[in-house]
Amino acid sequence: MHFLLDPFHYTFMQHALIAGVAVSAICAVLGVFVVQRGLAFLADGLSHAAFGGIAIGLYLGASVENAVWIAIPFTAAIAIAIGVVLRRTQLRGDVATGVFFSFSFAVGVLFLGLRTAHDRQISVDALLFGNVLLISSQVMWVVLVVSVVALIVTVALWSRLAYAIFDPELARLSGVPVAILEYLLLTTTAVVVVVAVKTVGVVLVSSFVVIPAASARMIGATLAQTTVIALLIGTLGAVVGLFVSYYLVTSSAATIILVHSACFLTSLIVARLRR
Amino acid sequence: MTDQTSLPPTAMSINRRSTATKLIQTRPDPSMTHVLDLDHVSVSIKGRLILDDVSFWIPKGEFVCLCGPNGAGKSTMLKAIMGIIPATKGTIKLGGEPLTTANLIKIGYVPQRKGFDRDFPARAVDLIVAALRGKWPVRIREDERERARVTLAKIGGERLIDKPLAGLSGGETQRVFLARALINDPSLVILDEPTAGVDARGRGELLELMTSISRSDELAAILVTHNLGAVAQTAERIVYLEHGRVLCWGLPNELLGQASLTAIAFQAQDHHKHAPDEE
Repeated sequence: MHFLLDPFHYTFMQHALIAGVAVSAICAVLGVFVVQRGLAFLADGLSHAAFGGIAIGLYLGASVENAVWIAIPFTAAIAIAIGVVLRRTQLRGDVATGVFFSFSFAVGVLFLGLRTAHDRQISVDALLFGNVLLISSQVMWVVLVVSVVALIVTVALWSRLAYAIFDPELARLSGVPVAILEYLLLTTTAVVVVVAVKTVGVVLVSSFVVIPAASARMIGATLAQTTVIALLIGTLGAVVGLFVSYYLVTSSAATIILVHSACFLTSLIVARLRR
Repeated sequence: MTDQTSLPPTAMSINRRSTATKLIQTRPDPSMTHVLDLDHVSVSIKGRLILDDVSFWIPKGEFVCLCGPNGAGKSTMLKAIMGIIPATKGTIKLGGEPLTTANLIKIGYVPQRKGFDRDFPARAVDLIVAALRGKWPVRIREDERERARVTLAKIGGERLIDKPLAGLSGGETQRVFLARALINDPSLVILDEPTAGVDARGRGELLELMTSISRSDELAAILVTHNLGAVAQTAERIVYLEHGRVLCWGLPNELLGQASLTAIAFQAQDHHKHAPDEE
């Protein structure tokens, strides 16, 4: 029992557990809709938009922790822009996301380059790869509050979102405000991705959105089942990954993603055996 | 059924509008209950007139076929009837009342293109109950399941209730979508190219089924199709649209019996074979 509880006697591990589970849970639930909508690339695009937003914040003199308040509106604006392009043009989701992905990353690189030698030093590595073990109490609370609010919003709108994702035309005829829901899904994902970047980094955040949802999609018979399975894979992956990374002294985010990937492989086998 | 090859060569080059005015066009008995009324309806989209002063009405229990070539305004008319786009001029009434969110539930709709992702994890019962609730079900109550079962049984699809949508054939998918359209006890059902992607046998069965439901439940139905052979056997009246106007509105035998309209209609059918996309 001590073996299981020992890691969580440390404050940094408690912060990591709370933030890791919160981020994994909300990313997994949002991921079900994002993947089903054919926007698996979206989280990648938005994480790079977050990078651009943080870089603008840093250029304006904010600390790495406070730059998140610049990154949130910037990333939400990019998410809405992706939504507008998706709705108003014939471009596919991956193309629309790819354009804004490149634009945002270029903005990030540009603004980081504009900083002078006198500006506060920052670790680009930490920004790109994150470290859930190093998050402060303040960041943990931001992550927790944002994740809980996003989870409540998503669960409250689940039935309408599901209908809109299944078939926008039929949902609209049933009185579902499809356009509003789509923009809400995009902006919620944007806000979650920004706070997730603070914990798991720009590069790895999309895995938290895509892998649990993709794993669940293979074995869930209904969308409700798929959502619950994704939530379980996301949260269990975070707990197991953190625990394993503590004893193996490996990168926490990377270990969590490897656990999620193992779940994906298991789902693949289960789905294959069921046929 | 009239065969295109049997048409006189001159029939293919007629002046459509002038010939159409000479047709006998038997209208429904005005004393019958009106389910749908279009009164001088015009619809413009981005300044372009798509529907131009369209008027016709459908009585209770009548099975109407709406046909016409690409760009005639059929899809726009359906969207206007379903309240998706507003009429620029004129009025559309459902059961004598103007269109509102509340009475739109009285329209059942079977879409042409099934826009759903085939991999969406859902069963037939989920889709049918979603139409009942106006939102996707997390858990289905026993009474909802029973209602879905009864509706599916009415169209011979009871065994499909728990089947994943991804595993359904074209004909089975149509039955499930038809059950979805019927679940709210509509007064009007709109079927947009319901036989597309369905084999000949399934097509016949589906049209027969729809005709029988329309008659037994006194349900008005609008069928949009290019399969005019099937229409001649099933529809009670035809509304023929061209360039956003109603060119003909009458009985199938009197309209399709006219070589001129048959020529127009088969030209439209042939045109659709080469350009299947709707306007």
